Amino acid sequence: MKYAFLVAWREYAENAKTRGFWLGMILVPTIMFFSSQVPIWLEKKGTPTRYYALVDQSGTLASVIESRLEKLHQRQVLSSIGEYAAKYVEPSSTFKTPPPSSVETFMSSGGAKSYLEQLRPNLKPSAPAFKPPRRAFQVATLPEGVNTNADLATMIGGLRPYLRGEKSVQVDGQWVALSAAILIPRDIESSIVRPQNKSDRPKAGIEYWSGNLADTKLRDEVESSINTEIRRREYLSRGMDAAAIREVEQTFAPFASLNPKKEAGREAVSKTDIIKQWAPSAFVYLLWVSIFAIVQMLLTNIIEEKSNRIIEVLLSSVTPGELMMGKLIGIGAVGLTMVGSWICALFGILTWKAGAAGDVTGQVLEVLKSSNLIPMFSVYFLFGFVMYAALILALGSVCNTLKEAQSYMGVITMVMMVPLMTMTFIPKDPNGLLARVLSWIPIYTPFTMMNRVMADPPWVDVVGTLLLLIVSTTISLWMAGKVFRIGILRTGQPPKLLEMLRWLRR
Amino acid sequence: MNGSPTSLASPLEVRGVTKLFGDFRAVDDVSFSLPAGSIHGFLGPNGAGKTTTIRMILEIIKPTSGSINVLGHASALEVRQRIGYLPEEKGLYKKMKCWAVIAYFATLKGLSRKAAKQRAFELLERYGLKDFATKPTEALSKGMGQKVQMLASIAHDPEFVILDEPFSGLDPVNQQVMEDIIRDMAKRGRTVLFSTHVMQHAERLCDRILLMAKGRKIFDGTVVEAKRTIPRRVRIETGNDIARLRELSEVVSIRELEATNVAGSPTAAHWELEIRENADPQSILQACFASGIRLRSFNQSDPTLHEVFMRLVGPDAKEATFR
Repeated sequence: MKYAFLVAWREYAENAKTRGFWLGMILVPTIMFFSSQVPIWLEKKGTPTRYYALVDQSGTLASVIESRLEKLHQRQVLSSIGEYAAKYVEPSSTFKTPPPSSVETFMSSGGAKSYLEQLRPNLKPSAPAFKPPRRAFQVATLPEGVNTNADLATMIGGLRPYLRGEKSVQVDGQWVALSAAILIPRDIESSIVRPQNKSDRPKAGIEYWSGNLADTKLRDEVESSINTEIRRREYLSRGMDAAAIREVEQTFAPFASLNPKKEAGREAVSKTDIIKQWAPSAFVYLLWVSIFAIVQMLLTNIIEEKSNRIIEVLLSSVTPGELMMGKLIGIGAVGLTMVGSWICALFGILTWKAGAAGDVTGQVLEVLKSSNLIPMFSVYFLFGFVMYAALILALGSVCNTLKEAQSYMGVITMVMMVPLMTMTFIPKDPNGLLARVLSWIPIYTPFTMMNRVMADPPWVDVVGTLLLLIVSTTISLWMAGKVFRIGILRTGQPPKLLEMLRWLRR
Repeated sequence: MNGSPTSLASPLEVRGVTKLFGDFRAVDDVSFSLPAGSIHGFLGPNGAGKTTTIRMILEIIKPTSGSINVLGHASALEVRQRIGYLPEEKGLYKKMKCWAVIAYFATLKGLSRKAAKQRAFELLERYGLKDFATKPTEALSKGMGQKVQMLASIAHDPEFVILDEPFSGLDPVNQQVMEDIIRDMAKRGRTVLFSTHVMQHAERLCDRILLMAKGRKIFDGTVVEAKRTIPRRVRIETGNDIARLRELSEVVSIRELEATNVAGSPTAAHWELEIRENADPQSILQACFASGIRLRSFNQSDPTLHEVFMRLVGPDAKEATFR
């Protein structure tokens, strides 16, 4: 065994020096970091304020749009003022007034200004001044020379260069690009489509001009605010009580989603439950990626030694069994280091990100800490790796070149694709037939059981498949040992499967 | 490091070893033993079974029948720390530094990590590779790589070293270095068994040779003994009739060699006289003078190992020498 460890140590030390190893170590945490950070950056900085031109010839709808967009902005202010308070209020202070829960109350109670006044005496001394978020949409004054009384076609003719980015408009002394124009015709009232006279051909209505087709937020807000207003007017004109209707529209029956598997009194399905359902899939993916990466490393490694004929010197010093164990332990340790660092990075990033309670990152962290995800991952990683590694060692030992091995590797890859393809189905029915069947196939056990880990699979599945996995891993290791011993010194054509089976009897 | 090895009668005893690959007899009932502290050449054409025999000695593969005793043990793995091996096809870990490769193989042979590193630098310095010690092996030329591999196989100062074709692919300078390494080891009482196709190396280095062809042992003995397996010969060049020489009791046979005329000289024939094993070539010379045969040249050189090889191995040898 001493020699196996010497081999293992070299494998570890040499692989740990390779660029690929460090790239793998650093790349995954970097991706994790950016995928958690980029959406935040995008939200904060990525989408700049969009300037729009608004011409309302009817004179009745512009205010509706503006108040809707103002409300949208105030909602953002409210949310960021909440974050600001959570972050900077002195923990010891008695100030416990959270910001209003609805944007209407917030606005009617004086908005950011009045709330900040209440907040100020209770802030930490180091707290920076509150910076309200940028407005998502800001109305721009119409450029000179656009006749607001002309028909829409003429008007847009004048606006077109601005919308195309050929000319800029001035807002608050700054030259900015105009991203949209909203034109409401004078006779909008007569163009309204009503169900009772459906046969009417839709007449020209409101025009929304924008070169940006991807960001539909402004268009949606404008459309929805206008239609709400049109409907409100419709209620009035039909003599209906608009206030009553609003009340009716806000009527609802309480609806709760509950999970019978949870303890009494805490059955409510929360965000945590959703995370619990899907977190295993992430680990399945991690398991798959790591096993596949390491197994590839093992294959290249063994082929290198074989094609270099280093193997012969090695075999004059160590037995094939010791060599195989050494490789298994050494490369396995490389993989473990890599995966371990990924998991540590994951915890690190989550802990760093987890701020306010109710935050998703905090919940994910909580799920990881409280569940058996990590221990089960370790168990399945260990056995999964050893089983696939045994297969690869046997394959590597009978092939002389990487090219030769790649063609066989193709088959193994295809077999290995199954858990990846079923990865998203299994959480939807974690104890269903597909999941159970796959769990009992040893080469899929690690992946499938990992996927079911949070779904309380039947006891017999957990223990039974694990036992089967251990037994089949042992058998595959034994068989690999037999093939390895003979295959490793072989040159020329790889043996036929039948021949390899004969080796097992030797 | 210079301590003499355990004085064993024979570091290697091979008894009746046969190896079958399917129906093919790679090695057929081969027996031999090596005396300790000498250099042995392991000769034979390609496919003679040398590498297979070496692999069996090292227990990389097991013989179909027969027994092998290495340094007093039935299994080479039991004494792997006392054996060194350089395989025929050479390879190194490309990304590893030269010293690290040597040290790694030395640790596999039981040296501590520290001692192995020290020894690696020592050897690299001694054999002129100091500047490459911290370079990856892929930076080396083929010959240098081979030297590094050679050093790796002897870094643990083994009692018994097996070298499979140590000279192939080396330039004359490095061949000399390799010869020096081998001689150094023998001087310190180590036993060396090396296989080669190049008879000059064997002739210069070996105390004994072992000759194999088609899986069988053909000859096993000292170089002098090997040369005795072919008759002694004397070559003469003369324009006279040499019929009288046939009557001499020392002469076994006479044949005329292809004439290699020097321009301008009168016709002179070349003759090869096969003489009795114990005969003194000088007596032939005296007989020539006595019979009035005027000699242009007289040559009494011993047969070369090459000739021995060609003669013992026969038609198989031709194939080997053209490779």
